[in-house]
Amino acid sequence: MYANILANMVLLPISAGLAMFIIPERYGRLAKFLSFIIALGLFAASIYVFNVKPAFWPGVDKPIFMADTLSSFIGLGIAFFALVTLTYSFAFIDKDIVKYNSYVLITLGSSLGACYSANFLGLLIFWGVLALALYLLVNMSGTSGAAKASEKALVIIGGTDALMLFGVGILWAATGSFSMDKTHLPLDSALSIIAYLSIASASLAKAGAMPFHSWLPDVAEEAKVPVTAYLPASLDKLLGIYLLARISLDIFAMNSISNTILLVIGSVTLIFAVTLALVQHDMKRLLGYHAVSQVGYMIIGIGTASPIGIAGALFHMLNNAIYKSCLFLTSGAVEQKTGSTDMSKLGGLSKYMPVTFAACLVSSLAISGIPPFNGFVSKWMIYQGIIESAKSSGPLWVIWLVAAMYGSALTIASFMKLLHSVFLGRPARNFGDVKDVGLLMAVPMAILALLSIIFGIFAFTIPLKLFIIPAAGSAVFYIGTWSPGAATMMLVAGLIIGLGIYAFMKSKSFRTTTTFIGGEEPSSMDRVSGTEFYDTLKDMKWLGRIYKKEDSGSFDIYVQTKNLISVFTGVLQRLHNGVLPTYIVWCLLGMIGLFIVLFMGKI
Amino acid sequence: MTAYILCLVLFSIGLYCALRKRNVVKIIIGIGIMEYAANFLFVLIGYRSGGRSPIYANDQVIKSMVDPLPQAVVAVAIVLNLSVTLLLVAIAIKLYEKYGTFDITKINDLKG
Amino acid sequence: MAFIPFFIAIPLGAAFLISLAGKRFRASSGPIACAASLFLLAASLAIVKPVLAHKTLVYRVGNWLPPFGIPMIVDSLTALMLVLAGIVVFFVTIYSIGYMKPYTDKWKYYTLLMLLVGGSNGVLLAGDIFNMFVFLEIASISVYALVAYGTEKHSLEGAFKYAVMSSIGSVFIFLGIAILYSYTSTLNMADMAAVLMQKGPGMIVPFVTTLFLVGFGLKAGLMPFHAWLPDAYSAAPATVPALSSGVLIKVLGLYAISRIVFNVFGINAEVSNILVILGSLSMVGGSILAFGQTKMKRLLGYSSISQVGYIAIGLGVGTPLALFGSIFYLLNHSLSKALLFLSAGAIEHSTGTDELGSIRGTCRRSPLAGWASLVGALSISGIPPLGGFWAKLIIIFACIQAGRPMLAFLMVLASIFTLIYYFKAFTGVLFGSESEKSRPFEKALSPHMALALFCLTALVVAAGLVLLPGKWQALINGAVGVLSGGRDYAIILFGAMR
Repeated sequence: MYANILANMVLLPISAGLAMFIIPERYGRLAKFLSFIIALGLFAASIYVFNVKPAFWPGVDKPIFMADTLSSFIGLGIAFFALVTLTYSFAFIDKDIVKYNSYVLITLGSSLGACYSANFLGLLIFWGVLALALYLLVNMSGTSGAAKASEKALVIIGGTDALMLFGVGILWAATGSFSMDKTHLPLDSALSIIAYLSIASASLAKAGAMPFHSWLPDVAEEAKVPVTAYLPASLDKLLGIYLLARISLDIFAMNSISNTILLVIGSVTLIFAVTLALVQHDMKRLLGYHAVSQVGYMIIGIGTASPIGIAGALFHMLNNAIYKSCLFLTSGAVEQKTGSTDMSKLGGLSKYMPVTFAACLVSSLAISGIPPFNGFVSKWMIYQGIIESAKSSGPLWVIWLVAAMYGSALTIASFMKLLHSVFLGRPARNFGDVKDVGLLMAVPMAILALLSIIFGIFAFTIPLKLFIIPAAGSAVFYIGTWSPGAATMMLVAGLIIGLGIYAFMKSKSFRTTTTFIGGEEPSSMDRVSGTEFYDTLKDMKWLGRIYKKEDSGSFDIYVQTKNLISVFTGVLQRLHNGVLPTYIVWCLLGMIGLFIVLFMGKI
Repeated sequence: MTAYILCLVLFSIGLYCALRKRNVVKIIIGIGIMEYAANFLFVLIGYRSGGRSPIYANDQVIKSMVDPLPQAVVAVAIVLNLSVTLLLVAIAIKLYEKYGTFDITKINDLKG
Repeated sequence: MAFIPFFIAIPLGAAFLISLAGKRFRASSGPIACAASLFLLAASLAIVKPVLAHKTLVYRVGNWLPPFGIPMIVDSLTALMLVLAGIVVFFVTIYSIGYMKPYTDKWKYYTLLMLLVGGSNGVLLAGDIFNMFVFLEIASISVYALVAYGTEKHSLEGAFKYAVMSSIGSVFIFLGIAILYSYTSTLNMADMAAVLMQKGPGMIVPFVTTLFLVGFGLKAGLMPFHAWLPDAYSAAPATVPALSSGVLIKVLGLYAISRIVFNVFGINAEVSNILVILGSLSMVGGSILAFGQTKMKRLLGYSSISQVGYIAIGLGVGTPLALFGSIFYLLNHSLSKALLFLSAGAIEHSTGTDELGSIRGTCRRSPLAGWASLVGALSISGIPPLGGFWAKLIIIFACIQAGRPMLAFLMVLASIFTLIYYFKAFTGVLFGSESEKSRPFEKALSPHMALALFCLTALVVAAGLVLLPGKWQALINGAVGVLSGGRDYAIILFGAMR
């Protein structure tokens, strides 16, 4: 029974992960081997499921797991990224190996469960287990910063999970069932709008959009890199946007108000997060802010409600997962070999770590939306979606378009800074002992970088035709013309001509000597680190204030909620002054209140 | 009827005493007064006019008897109140040893 | 059926035995208490099947017919709570053997423990309202003394406040019983229900309802009658709040309220509204106050207040799904709270304090206490797949289904607050790194404590399985039937008693 595969795909890794708890720490290699086999098997199974979709388990009538076009595609993505990051982690994680692998397996099983769930109850269960798994995984770093980051992540994701529970409850009370394929609710009453917003908030929190974004940069900075590449970078985005797509396309019938809300959230997330990313010093934190900002594109795409925009959003989700995890993996490589991710302390690593540099370069160009990489195609589709939506909505489309393009420009700026600080320029110290990463870490990075290139050049033939358009569910009409083949030819031609000129010029002999500054020795203080590129931004009045507020946590919903609660807590705590008669007086006041309520009608 | 009202007045006096007095011993006495008032009320509820004590006597003509159940109940309740009072007094003695004062408003280390 | 009185006789007998033998043979008091609680657990499990078959079991003390005699009644609600109390008491007793080592005069502790168990079982079994009151007082007095057990400064202060407030509550209850007797001339609860159905409520029943709500609400820890709870819990040895929060506030407070309000008086719209209002107040107020706490046991005390609010709201909403949800929530909360208090006690046992700033990182040294705290906190915060998640789900869905989405939203908000304060406090303890302020980790957990923690953790994880169709789900459904049947149920009982 091929349909049984779905249930096994979910239950096998979870039970294996739980069973792994009893393996003692000595058998780390056994644990690694087991998890690799399971991840490989699941990847093969997800390819199989993708080919035989749709599949229902246990039956078409009341399915618990189902794999239609959208969820089978997401499942494939989940299994693929799990395999890639797992391979990378074998060389990176060196202690608590068994625990790490068991958490990874549990996460994998729950993600597949959430993705293949056919009813909301299953989705809720697996979503919550994922929040717990994230908490446990982040805490494996063992620092107190990691503890704080994990606490924030659990509260934000778990809290929005409770909101999703509320939304699902409204759905259930309105339609009487939990199943996802049979509900289609119009967003006309207040209650259904609240239900939509509640479930959407859970997906936004998982993907990392505003206002629930604040856990992502902290987790990116504190957690170990394979954890960051696995969960916040790839799986969470896939699942979050999957849920958003599911509720926007299938479950609820969107109207212009809800679309506008999505567009606003997307644009604000985009601009805000990328502005904040510009002044970061820590490589991983910068990547975390960018992860937040890229989600903005996806939300804008879904908010345009046009087929090409939605397809663009899904494609961008996939591309983002590819190049974002590749970027995180390269930052992990840098961290492992040099011992730091502070960009002001790095520089010139391209000479010593060429493979890492190549992967990082490809992914940075992809995320900035440079043709012919995949980021360009998906962004272009989203722009088309915005323009397309201009036909039906009001004049606001200009704002979204400008925001998207401006965000793209800032993204390039930010990644130029990253590339320069880490790989180009003069080194901060002598990096002679730094060697490039081994095979186990290099192969995943290379695969992801190659995927970026392939999905870009062959965009129309491979990813769009096979994965995205079927998942989006409707035919897509392109407005403009983009021929990746022709563009690639021209780029390659340009590169060859450039290399030819370089070789020609190099063949003439030059004299190389040190820099001349009036007879003085060039000191290391003259080194310009890339991290200071955008520091003048901090001097601008409004931006400077925003940066300061971000550091103090004004835009952090967790911190603000805590501050709000402490106001009330202070009042109530002062009332509890420890003196017994006060407490007895409250009892009597309560009694008087009860008398009033009970006797109000009678007298 | 006035007897019941007076019982409730006694109860309120006990409640006021437990509420407003600062001395720990006075609070205990106030609780005791409340308990006695409740016992009074219960016994008085059992009163039947013209009734005699609820004991069978085959050689006498009995017109009516008061209700025996409240008397049994109050007997048990008195024992319970005694235990509570004992415990409260024991705690109060130890409180004085530890805190050095009987003033309830000064015994407020546990707060917030 | 004839072993129903053993639920009261065994603990009282054990208390008697311990106070005789414990002074001479010091090591015997613990094992006697454990044996008694094991027997109680077995008996409560054994009584489930007859209850499911016959719906109610009645034991007439001295074979006096109602309404003159005192009956002991076991229906589904009682059976369920007997099992719950049996589980919690058993594991707490095992835990106490290891935990009470630093204390002296242990036989006094075990005597009081057994009296407490006997009292709470008596409240559960009572079919007569004054009998319920007597056993309620027995349990309350034992717990006042247990809170003061360490006779340190704060224990005495907490015990005094608890004793004064709780005796005032008991006096209100007694006054209520007196006035009710004057109106109905009977103390038997089923008979009372019949008389009230005939006579109608008049002015007396609302007055008595107020008195009972104040008295039993104080025992349950509902706001605004809650103020004794954090003080009493923060200073007592950790097993006492575990028992109190897991058994007493449920039995003496919530069970008594539901029995009287649902089965004797009959629920009406005003009392439901009051329960909902008091519940919401407790839910939100408890979580706001818990947020600012710096001591673990006090924080758990405020958390108990907040969770009792959920159960009260479920009782107030009153639809069958809401009643199911609140009973299941009650089960989950008892187990999880007992687990949390016991693990806080383990941490306190090892480091000597429960101040949150000083116990950072202790769970690295003791993974069992760490996992126990984590599982307990997750269950109460409502993270799947633990039982607390299902309980929250059912209660929130029931509120939405009953047409009160604002109430459900308030519950979700309180859930988020619960997550915040639990993980703000616990993340440091579980995963933080030890700071200079941390106390050194001195003693390892004794095997008794470890066994109790492990078993309770397993129970909390498995609690969600109760919802699967089977014996336990049938029992909970039976309990829901008892409550939603209202006064008809009491009439059936009256017939069963003859």
